[in-house]
Amino acid sequence: MAEWARASLAARIALAVLVVALIGWPVARLIGVATETGLASVAATLTGSLAQSAIFNSLWTSALVALLAVIAGTSAALVTERSTVPGRRALRLGLLLPLLVPPFVSAYGWTRAYGQHGLLDQATGLSLPGVYGPLGIILVLTVASTPIVWLIVAGALATRVEPDLERAARASGAGSRETFRTVTLPLLRPALLSAAMIVFVFAVNAFGVPAVLGTPAGFATVTTRIYQDLALSADPAAFARATTMALGLVALALVVVSSSDLLLAGRPAVRTALPAGGRVDGRGGWITAMLLGGAIVVAAIVPLGALLLTALTRAAGLPPVPANWTLANFGDALESPFLTGLAHSILLATAAATLVLVLGTLAATAIRGRSRWLGAAIAISFAVPGSALAVAMLLAYGGWLRDSLAIILVAYLAKFWALGHRQLAGSIDRLPADQLRAARASGAGSLDALRSVAWPILWPSIAAGWLVVFVFALHELTMSSLLYGPGSATLAVVVLNVQQLGDPTVTAALAVLLTGIVVLAAAPLGFLRWRNEGRHRQQGDRELP
Amino acid sequence: MDAVVAGFKSAHPGVSVDVFRAPTGELAARIASELRDGRIRGDVLWLTDPLSIQAYAAQGLLFSWQPAGAAGIGDAYRSDTYWGTRFLNMVMISGTAVTPAPATWKDLANAAYKGAVGIPDPGFAGSAFGALAYFAQNPDLGMDFYGSLKTNGAVQVQSPDEVTAGVAEGRFKVGMTLDNSARTAITKGSPVALAWPTDGAIAMYSPIGVVGASQAPSSAEAFVEFVLSDPGQQAIAKTGWQPMRSGAGGPAPGGPQVFPKWSDAFAQQQKLLTEYRAIFGG
Repeated sequence: MAEWARASLAARIALAVLVVALIGWPVARLIGVATETGLASVAATLTGSLAQSAIFNSLWTSALVALLAVIAGTSAALVTERSTVPGRRALRLGLLLPLLVPPFVSAYGWTRAYGQHGLLDQATGLSLPGVYGPLGIILVLTVASTPIVWLIVAGALATRVEPDLERAARASGAGSRETFRTVTLPLLRPALLSAAMIVFVFAVNAFGVPAVLGTPAGFATVTTRIYQDLALSADPAAFARATTMALGLVALALVVVSSSDLLLAGRPAVRTALPAGGRVDGRGGWITAMLLGGAIVVAAIVPLGALLLTALTRAAGLPPVPANWTLANFGDALESPFLTGLAHSILLATAAATLVLVLGTLAATAIRGRSRWLGAAIAISFAVPGSALAVAMLLAYGGWLRDSLAIILVAYLAKFWALGHRQLAGSIDRLPADQLRAARASGAGSLDALRSVAWPILWPSIAAGWLVVFVFALHELTMSSLLYGPGSATLAVVVLNVQQLGDPTVTAALAVLLTGIVVLAAAPLGFLRWRNEGRHRQQGDRELP
Repeated sequence: MDAVVAGFKSAHPGVSVDVFRAPTGELAARIASELRDGRIRGDVLWLTDPLSIQAYAAQGLLFSWQPAGAAGIGDAYRSDTYWGTRFLNMVMISGTAVTPAPATWKDLANAAYKGAVGIPDPGFAGSAFGALAYFAQNPDLGMDFYGSLKTNGAVQVQSPDEVTAGVAEGRFKVGMTLDNSARTAITKGSPVALAWPTDGAIAMYSPIGVVGASQAPSSAEAFVEFVLSDPGQQAIAKTGWQPMRSGAGGPAPGGPQVFPKWSDAFAQQQKLLTEYRAIFGG
């Protein structure tokens, strides 16, 4: 046990150093800038009426997004993981789709599909009246964050919630609703809280969606307000205001994260069986599958289709009929140094995803059961808007790492650490300690014990965490557009070049390309998951006749 | 911009040029953080509109000198630290099916376009702030002009390009956008027409200047000289923007040009935006 204690102490020290280097020091530099003009101006910024309405708007929309995404993601997870509805594999892939689409692309797709003069309007004369405004922001952000909830809850259903307990409840006469309420839900509680927290923070620091959909309604959020101050920040006072607002988001994240952590009481669960389908649905299964599939089509596939049509059309405003189709927009989108940017972005995303998992494992192991504040600290940088975090990184490390891929990577690690940590923490917290001990007692080395006991439980979370971070890093536009230098251009730079052309059809083409690339990059992982599911099911069938 | 850099490189093969290009907000944030780390790292600043560069000039961050090419540039578009390189003309745009097309700025408040007027948000786009400053400074229009637009159901979007797209797609009948944006859409075949205001397009300019802390001042000056020279101005004209110096080719203005008083606008930035926000929100 002394060996474990030493390793755990070393991990905690390493973790503390990393938290300070990746998050503490940059945020401290940001605080320095915000308070340059004195604490009175900090207070004046945060209590001004413009700031207050923005803070209020960010809070209520994000809270609603968190609530709706948790409901949608959990329902979807229960359907795909706890029932035997037909087409489950296809539904799972469909549920991941919104994750692969950058949110600002999705916002644009929604306006093209459901806005005034969008596809639906042209076809039926109907349009979604509130697509510009808070309703549209909430809907698009909910769609974008539902896959995160689904991944977390599906992971929890696979690793935490015991099918045997559910079956026992059913056998003892509980109805499916009662079983859900008394067995499944309490076991899911930590995962649900964790998912709600991530989605809330994700929604609070979303910029592209409120910028596109909120501006026409005069609806400002903290992030759009920060961007406006940054645009004026040749004036030092405006720059200080922007950093102050960004720190306001940090404080908000700290409150949300630490309160949700307080609500989590860690109780290890014992894993007794592989997950297997719960109840077999007959006709009801088809209806459920159709409903879920229909929701995916409406929320994710139609907007993407509308975007593809826009990208294929010669010029904005022409009817999207074959006579007006062209591939020229794709040519324009590819003209910029596309391949270099793509190679850099894939390299950065791979490195970030892999390192974030290492960091996440480190954090989840070291924090286990104590030092909750470290967990909160890791979540801070996820809550800082990208532009402010990039400024913090420049202030902290610009001297050595300026213009290199390394400074972008450092920013990605700081930003996405929380995603890896939260994804893993739930599963690691619940590793069956007695089984690990039993394995060690039966003569297994620590590596063997990890491989045979821990790995099967952790791997779904690890794969999901890697994918999420990879996709987020590949989509990332704001930080890299501020941090890149000669020789370290990423996809973001390509996007900017194209946006400067100012042509919506070319922008749509680029958005379609960006989504296509992410889908291609994520395909191997989807395939692995697919194959593994097949294998699991066979094993499950054998063991549980 | 790429064409200008390519032209400069062939004229000065010994000088290497690295471009950092970013939207106004990101660029300003990067400069602000670089300043706190010592100095601006770039040698040349080339911005979209005069607002930010005035602030840098006021903070003494720009090098004061006289490029030979500055002689060809109108007094309204230059100082002793920065010079205009190209015009951005804020004009009106209308759908080809929309009759009558607007003639003067006040026509945007015409009930014929009720609920279908698009304008760019001055909080996001520097060119839109230039328009705000011009209207506010013009006693004939003033902030009341924005009030009448709002009464007419005008909708703000982020950028002039979004206004152009909105008019093309039929979401708006008319709008306020940049001439280059409208021309690009027309060339590609979008059903829009450029309506040059008879009371004058609001002419803004992209300023360029040399960073005072530049480590390669002579190369930086050479670059600015090139941009202001005939070949540099011709390269700008080829990209579809109106160059600063007449005679360099490029699109000719379709009518009168008026310009905001930038030094006043600079001092009133917060006040104007607050007044605007009181009308349009955001």
